[in-house]
Amino acid sequence: MSLSTARITLRLRLPAAVSAGVGLIAVMIAVGALFPSVGHTIGKLSIPKSVSNLLGGGDYGTITGWFRSEIAAIYGPLVVGGLAITGAAATTAGEEEDRIMGLVLAHPIRRPRLIAAKAAAIAGVVLIVALGTWIGLIAGVAVGGGGITLAHMTALAVQLAFFGFATGAVAIALGAGTGRRSLATGVGAAVGIVGWLINSFAPLVGALDWLKYVSPFYYYAGHDPLGQGVDIVGIVVLGALSLVLTAAGMVGIDRRDLRA
Amino acid sequence: MIATSGLSKDYGGGRGLFGLDLEVREGEVFGFLGPNGAGKSTTMRLLLDLIRPTSGSAQMLGLDTIGDSLEIRRRVGFLPGDFALYPKLTGRTVLDYLAELRGGVDPRVRDSLVERFGADIDRPIRQLSTGNRQKLGLVQAFMHEPELLILDEPIAGLDPLVQQSFHALLGEVSAEGRTVFLSSHTLSEVERVTTRLAILRHGRLVVVDSLENLRKVAVQRLEIEFGSPVDASEFRALPGVTEVHAEGQLVTVGFEGSADAVVKAAARHDVRAIRPREEDLEEIFLQYYKSDGAT
Repeated sequence: MSLSTARITLRLRLPAAVSAGVGLIAVMIAVGALFPSVGHTIGKLSIPKSVSNLLGGGDYGTITGWFRSEIAAIYGPLVVGGLAITGAAATTAGEEEDRIMGLVLAHPIRRPRLIAAKAAAIAGVVLIVALGTWIGLIAGVAVGGGGITLAHMTALAVQLAFFGFATGAVAIALGAGTGRRSLATGVGAAVGIVGWLINSFAPLVGALDWLKYVSPFYYYAGHDPLGQGVDIVGIVVLGALSLVLTAAGMVGIDRRDLRA
Repeated sequence: MIATSGLSKDYGGGRGLFGLDLEVREGEVFGFLGPNGAGKSTTMRLLLDLIRPTSGSAQMLGLDTIGDSLEIRRRVGFLPGDFALYPKLTGRTVLDYLAELRGGVDPRVRDSLVERFGADIDRPIRQLSTGNRQKLGLVQAFMHEPELLILDEPIAGLDPLVQQSFHALLGEVSAEGRTVFLSSHTLSEVERVTTRLAILRHGRLVVVDSLENLRKVAVQRLEIEFGSPVDASEFRALPGVTEVHAEGQLVTVGFEGSADAVVKAAARHDVRAIRPREEDLEEIFLQYYKSDGAT
């Protein structure tokens, strides 16, 4: 891996990652502050099972359910996945389309090493946002009156990081493998969104319940990290998926012509 | 220094590079010319293993451009024709990064290039003009003192003073025995700096020769000033004559081969002066572009 490439890629993505991390902290403090006054009232509402599943269970009456619905099901994966996918697509296919990669690869660096460094930098971006999520959870839960253990909050941040690695790796594979930024961004986003929908709706239909196993969302939040702690199987699956997809991107770019 | 054998890249629809056999010798400044889409940039990208050939092979520095690509890239400096860098970063940051990819460069060499070209390395690249970005491109191509330079349209966007600095640098590089392979649309540049040149057309090599030899085989012109206007049609019928232009007492005759028939026809009139008109590079260039190269 090229450390200088990882460093410059991270530097280019750092403002967005730090902004997102700080933004998540602010959102979670606000979410925590709302819980004492709003959570118990909303918790009494009757919500259809399908909507409840979309919101990660929809149990607004407890602080765990409140944060699961607001942060674990929506804001966290949206921000982490969004930054990982757009960052990975931009640093691979985006730089190729912008004619920067052609210059960089005229230097003595192997293509797979370049992609490995870029993937490492995107993992760094994900870790910064996951750290923001972790800090925000601790602050938000404290503001909301407590009730979630530090271990479970850490578990959500860890699962979220691995979700970010996997969605970013989808964009790395496609961005490096094809050199097409729109394809890498579009498919990466589709994997995230369709995965979220599948994980929410598949369990409602008995015959389609198995579909949840193809969704990265299932391995991220299916085990309910805020309520149950770390899901080792989920981490292993998401981690392995990330490594395989990154390797596919490294092999893919090595076997094709640069587009620009 | 560079040797290609049947090097081809077929993009379909007649686009690409076809059967390029080319040799660039050590220490020469070699010009690579051709209209847009002729295959110049494709050749350079093939040499640097940014794209792979459909057929044929190439060697640089005695190494295979695919199998030994990493070693070649260590020893070659490259300026792409569509030079682009990270717009949010300063030139200094990007040059530091590119130097690290090379395992470090002598900072004195880099600094002297920056000073020589007057490159602004402390502002974000997006704030720089095209010419100032191009200066950074030149600095990065030369800063590790490569044995071979591959430069695609190197003076694009540069002001005349910087062009002069660049041409002086090329002279120094050549004097040190290093090799330069450059493409250009600026004919005065090619005329000034190259020792030999190749012309590509529709992806195929049309000619490789020195400028001096190209001038010899090109259409020659005589400008003849007569004592009184003459009928220009009598020159058109002469063997070897390709064009005749008459304006009052002045007749310009273009011809291939011997001037004997033209001079003898002119001698039948009152001739005040005969002046050879030297073919400039642009005319030679256009002949090869327009024709099939069968000159």
